[in-house]
Amino acid sequence: MPPTPPRNLVELFTGFLAIGARSFGGVMPWAHRTMVEERRWLTPEDFAETVGLCQFLPGPNIGNASIVLGKRWFGVRGSIVAFLGLFALPFVWVLALASLYADFGTHHLVRAIVIGIGSAAAGLFISTAIKLGRPLARRPAAIVLIAACFVSVALMRVSLFIVLPVAASIALLLAWRKQL
Amino acid sequence: MNVLVDMAGYFSLLSLISVGGLPAVLPELQRYVIEVKGWLTPDQFLQLYAIGQAAPGPNMLIVSLIGWKVAGLPGAFVALAALCGPAAVLSYGVAGLWERFKGSPWRLAIQRGMVPLVVAFTLAGGYVLATPNNVPDWRLWLIASLAAAGMLGTKLNPLWLLAGGGVLGAFLL
Repeated sequence: MPPTPPRNLVELFTGFLAIGARSFGGVMPWAHRTMVEERRWLTPEDFAETVGLCQFLPGPNIGNASIVLGKRWFGVRGSIVAFLGLFALPFVWVLALASLYADFGTHHLVRAIVIGIGSAAAGLFISTAIKLGRPLARRPAAIVLIAACFVSVALMRVSLFIVLPVAASIALLLAWRKQL
Repeated sequence: MNVLVDMAGYFSLLSLISVGGLPAVLPELQRYVIEVKGWLTPDQFLQLYAIGQAAPGPNMLIVSLIGWKVAGLPGAFVALAALCGPAAVLSYGVAGLWERFKGSPWRLAIQRGMVPLVVAFTLAGGYVLATPNNVPDWRLWLIASLAAAGMLGTKLNPLWLLAGGGVLGAFLL
């Protein structure tokens, strides 16, 4: 059965609302479940293609996906509606949590738990980077580029405003010459 | 009011270089919010980040917490809008082009060339987050390594790994 895009803006909004509301622990799996499996707006290939683009555009991946897909289906209005649907509930949630936390956040044990959670979250980034980077393990140019970017941003704390333009120029040049 | 203008301006710029999403801008965000502006302490930054993890949705939402802490509800709106807006406009512009040039050599070059950068910036984001005071703390690194290993070696929902981090934090910190 071919996928059928949302028929109107209300469907688009509720779809992204459902993604935002349920996506504890990571949005992409829920985006896939909602748009590909439950509502059948997209084929799995189409989904992968869109996410692939959004991964290296600036901005939150899924936020970009809401813009790109909203535009494809309903133009500017679609982008705005999808984006608002995605962020509405998590935004309220996160502020509610933060105001709760402000009341008992000075307690030593609560603080220790929260810092533990933050460190685990750092670990999730590291695993994401490892997953993404695995296919590059046998490409020396890519490894050198990754190491140089990491050292300058994380250890030497050079501003990303400097590192990104320089690194992106080098990376695109190498990739164009098929050396990456 | 000045705070809101500062935040809007700086976060809008950050938005345009946030390649790969939030982790890429974490080092810069931390530097600006803690060192340049003194709006938060390193500890507070990590704690806000952790709270952000306990909510659903894009992890970019952490910036609305920073905004909230600094300037209340208007701060929360301004921070999130500034960090997402410019990137969203860019995505909107690129969307059609990208589909039209499927299979073209420059599109392939961009696809291949950007991966190492996204990998490096994501790693850097993880490192900076687990090293809040710029001084290595083995306890935080241990928790981070275990979470990373759990993510790579099991199919657990990341929420369980975050909860595990909280339990370890209670014992170690």
